[in-house]
Amino acid sequence: MIYFENMENIEVKINVTNVIGDVYGVEAEEGQKVYDLIKKAFAENRKVVLSFLNIEILTTAFLNTSIGQLYKDFSEETIKKNLSVENISESGKVILKRVVGTAKLFYKDKDTFLRLQQSIEEILEN
Amino acid sequence: MIQIVNIDNSFDSYQRLISLYEEYKDKAFSDIHIGFYQWFAANMSAALGALLDVFTTNLNDVHFDCFNPQSIEQILLKNDFLTYYGKARAVDVNQTTIRFQKLKPTDGKYFKTYVIEELIGRAELPQMSVALKEKMIEAIYEMFVNAQIHSETEFIYTCGQFFPNKNKIEFTIVDTGIGFRNKINNRFKRSLSATQAIQWAVEDKNTTKETVSGGIGLALLKEFISMNKGRMQIVSDSGFYEFGTEGVSIKPFSGQFPGTIVNLEFCTDDNNSYALKNEININDIF
Repeated sequence: MIYFENMENIEVKINVTNVIGDVYGVEAEEGQKVYDLIKKAFAENRKVVLSFLNIEILTTAFLNTSIGQLYKDFSEETIKKNLSVENISESGKVILKRVVGTAKLFYKDKDTFLRLQQSIEEILEN
Repeated sequence: MIQIVNIDNSFDSYQRLISLYEEYKDKAFSDIHIGFYQWFAANMSAALGALLDVFTTNLNDVHFDCFNPQSIEQILLKNDFLTYYGKARAVDVNQTTIRFQKLKPTDGKYFKTYVIEELIGRAELPQMSVALKEKMIEAIYEMFVNAQIHSETEFIYTCGQFFPNKNKIEFTIVDTGIGFRNKINNRFKRSLSATQAIQWAVEDKNTTKETVSGGIGLALLKEFISMNKGRMQIVSDSGFYEFGTEGVSIKPFSGQFPGTIVNLEFCTDDNNSYALKNEININDIF
């Protein structure tokens, strides 16, 4: 986990449409490109504004890799302070909020595997 | 000759296709003759196409000998299914078909073109609110991407159909990959049945992924289907799962489908304001 002590207040804008060369943010692999850029910017102590301008369709798979994964590398506090989104559709916001909530739980909880295994045991018992 | 009789989207219809698969899956270098009788739901072309590909992989030669009534052949010509077997496409005058398409999992760009041509750009699509259309496309994409990520399939098969008078769209996505049961049991070293595996997978936050979070797609789909009063069916391995207005139905098949079928039924006369009901503050996401 990386914590920024002295994050400089310099913003960088990442246009999702430009990064993936598409107005559909749907495939997990495409999301990886966005994630790599955000990570690079954070490594250089930059704040990121992620613009979804012109993006028409989003999937959870795309948002899991582009944004959800950040919770693997950075603290919730760091992400909240340094990442913002703009021009995202209402529907996109709903999905993103779910992706973020799930990612926080997935990466924060060291026992995710055990939790999932437990949920399997419950189904086997029923 | 294989008789494919009265195939709709019922459990019994899926069972008949599975029984057909079980009977012919080990045949090789044979001529397989098929006759269609009574009814064949166009969207089920995706499931049939996947099964027949398993047969042709075993170097069997598939022949379509009989269509009774003839209208079954017409619909399978209009939706391009039979063009994969050497027949010329027929013009769809009523324009209610959504083409049968076979794609590699890496063919995301072709799938986009397909979605635009067959769904988004179709003027003859039943009247739908903008929000509903967006949710429907999202749902279809979630399922396509799920097949890409999880199924380990060689091809993904899709097909659909509009029913303007019933205000319905059926859309089906099929793969011939590993299936829910094997995927989950391999990951957690447990022995869920096929139906238990599907039940587990549709629950929010349940995922087999190891390094990237997930497990939201099927749960979101279920929530949308509930609001839309539509229906989702998952056939995977020997498991059947259906969620719709009458609740959940879970049953085992006799025999196994060699992969997964996801069949979605959307109600097009749905005026729910999906986005507005869920308004979220953009500054309160992370």
